[in-house]
Amino acid sequence: MRIHRGHIAQHKHDQLLREYLKQHLNELIQQKELIIDGKVKTQIATLDLPTLKYGEDAPVLARGTGRGGKGGAGGSGQTGDEEIQVLGGLLGGDHHGREIKVELDFDEFVRLAQEVLLQEIELPVFREPSRSGEVQTDALPDLDDLDRIGLRPDLNLEETMLQSLLRNIRERGTAEYDVELAQDGWYFVEDPAAYENHRSLEVYVLDISGSMRGEYLALVRKTIFVLWYYLERRYPTNLRRYVVFQDVAEEKTRDEFFCVESSGGTHISAGFERAMELLHGVTEHDKFLFVFTDGETSSGDFDLAKRRYEEALSRFDMVCYGHVNPGGRGVGGFSEYVQDGARRYPNATFANLTDIEAIRKTMGEFLEFFARERSGGRRWTRIAKSSTASKR
Amino acid sequence: MDSYREIIDRIEALARQRGLSFDPVYFRLTDSDEIAEVASMGLPNRFIHWHWGGAYKELVVQQNKELFSILELVLNTKPSHAFLRRANTYLQNVLVIAHVFGHVDFFRNNHWFAKSNKNMLNEAERHARQIRKYEGVHGREKVETLLDALLTVAGTVNAFERNPTERRKRLMYYLEDKAPLESWEHHMMQMLREESEYFDLIQRTHIINEGWATFVEAELLRDILDTPSWASLSVQLSNRPAPYTIGYALFQRVKRERGFDAALEVRTYYEDIRLIDEMLTDEMVRRLDIFVYDPKEKQKSYDLQQVKEMLITQKLHKGEPHIEVESGSSPKELVLGHLEEDRKLDSKRVGLFLKSVHSLWRNPVRLRANGKVYTYDRRGLSTA
Repeated sequence: MRIHRGHIAQHKHDQLLREYLKQHLNELIQQKELIIDGKVKTQIATLDLPTLKYGEDAPVLARGTGRGGKGGAGGSGQTGDEEIQVLGGLLGGDHHGREIKVELDFDEFVRLAQEVLLQEIELPVFREPSRSGEVQTDALPDLDDLDRIGLRPDLNLEETMLQSLLRNIRERGTAEYDVELAQDGWYFVEDPAAYENHRSLEVYVLDISGSMRGEYLALVRKTIFVLWYYLERRYPTNLRRYVVFQDVAEEKTRDEFFCVESSGGTHISAGFERAMELLHGVTEHDKFLFVFTDGETSSGDFDLAKRRYEEALSRFDMVCYGHVNPGGRGVGGFSEYVQDGARRYPNATFANLTDIEAIRKTMGEFLEFFARERSGGRRWTRIAKSSTASKR
Repeated sequence: MDSYREIIDRIEALARQRGLSFDPVYFRLTDSDEIAEVASMGLPNRFIHWHWGGAYKELVVQQNKELFSILELVLNTKPSHAFLRRANTYLQNVLVIAHVFGHVDFFRNNHWFAKSNKNMLNEAERHARQIRKYEGVHGREKVETLLDALLTVAGTVNAFERNPTERRKRLMYYLEDKAPLESWEHHMMQMLREESEYFDLIQRTHIINEGWATFVEAELLRDILDTPSWASLSVQLSNRPAPYTIGYALFQRVKRERGFDAALEVRTYYEDIRLIDEMLTDEMVRRLDIFVYDPKEKQKSYDLQQVKEMLITQKLHKGEPHIEVESGSSPKELVLGHLEEDRKLDSKRVGLFLKSVHSLWRNPVRLRANGKVYTYDRRGLSTA
């Protein structure tokens, strides 16, 4: 039997990475531009051996790559937009002592952040046994509807490619057939209706008016990452759409959603309207709307926002409203109205997102829906009032 | 491996006919994952450290995305061990086999490799076991912290240096000689130094070694491949990474001007610096598109002298800043100097580096660099 020393070394490396993330998660998650070119970029000194290096401006030995710009061999001069390859490491030999700049794939960052957050919030973690392919957890709720392993022979390749293309456009704004089987490979030549009914549409609506920064951003992103953890395990595919609003609302790609600039006033109604427009042509069975705002809607928008909220309740299976409130102030304005509504409407939830503890309570409540569904009750028959409502 | 046995024997016979000689070579067909593992650790059974894990992870990601893959790997041991990638095509592995015979000939015949430790596979295994034992006795965290510090300074070894006065200026040797370490810590340092010298030798002969292997590959396969395959190989050789193409161009020049026997002589007596200094020409610099790039001015220079100097400096100090232990050092205080005064060090790393050195020296450490004197002592970092 071969000992996978590479895997063990990587495990040690990732443990250190996790440790770093744990200590710096708040800092990293608050970066205004969280995703650049599909990566979360951060310079983590502790992950490299602290050998001495030259400052960045020192001249280096390099080589043309033959790509971009003009030039190549011959003559001194400006490089313009020509690509060059720095030769330092390549001439050095093996990988010993090489600098590793840490650029995490966004998906990997999310996975590590989820791990840290679930541990910190003490929420149930699902474990995947190596052989059975089933998901287990010691804690409620018992969500075991996970079946994303393996490639079926009747995979509808055309549809899978198409879905991959659409997902990449939604996430990164690039038209690439970058197929991820877990996300895209859910389309079969004869698509059983049951599978279709188990997919989810998730619309994330974010208020980007002036106050959207720092701790506010951190709370929103943490909540979304934890939501993803459960939703990804509950549904075979998660069709995600992203909307930001201030005076007007617009759809964004995933990468843009995590790099938004804050500006303008707050017209919550615009956010609801744009979210509902995205329901057009959607066949997914479970439709979720997640709204994150500080609830301070502009004067004149209050009544329209109320109407749009109620309309959203009738069109989405669940409307989750996060009142982002890192200062822990009292709940007022439009949020107060929604808080009250959440007591009356079975498919409405309200979360007063003040801190990490509030995320825990919110998730508990969110997962309760699935628990009820599993225990044989009708979906969305929640009676108990929101446990996170106006606690602070 | 059976499907390769015949071609291995044929290439081996051809190599011997051309005057090459080598220790026995064991070829092994394996997967990309194992090759990435060995490439990231340097040796298949070396002690496990998180730093290799980062490199391994990066290689696996690159291989999965098909951005880059390591086609071959060969160890400087006796017997030599060579890994062929199962995912390679038959023709790719034929190229690799010829390339490997170039490497093993170099290992056996190059003057500088004569002193290399051919038993390093067993040594590395012994070291790994000893380090695990120390983990059991002193605790994993303590051993890992020590390993981090040792690996940080390990790059300062020089496997070529035999002059005792010059050796003492190199931080790793100085610390091994003078640092107030416990006996087990001192033993760890010896083990790391041995391994670092093994790799240092490979680094200091990287261009000549890869150049020779590529040259041998081309020479041997000229007799084996048909014309179209040979033409396609020639194109491929010019697209390989820099050490391969630079070294290959240098050996082609030697053969063109002085014949194949002279090339054999160069592989025996030269190392990278001498090869570059004597053989690199203005025409080659331009043809290979190698230049000194100034990121501040966004200027590139193809001046032969500048390119040579930069290449040689990189080879002398493996592209890392040149620091030396200064004569003012005493048991109470270690004084280091960065000798290239015109080049600045990344100041963010200086504190972390000195912290590592301090953890081994256990007394104040000073570093003259960037026009300042950095001091690391019990209170932490200070600058004057």
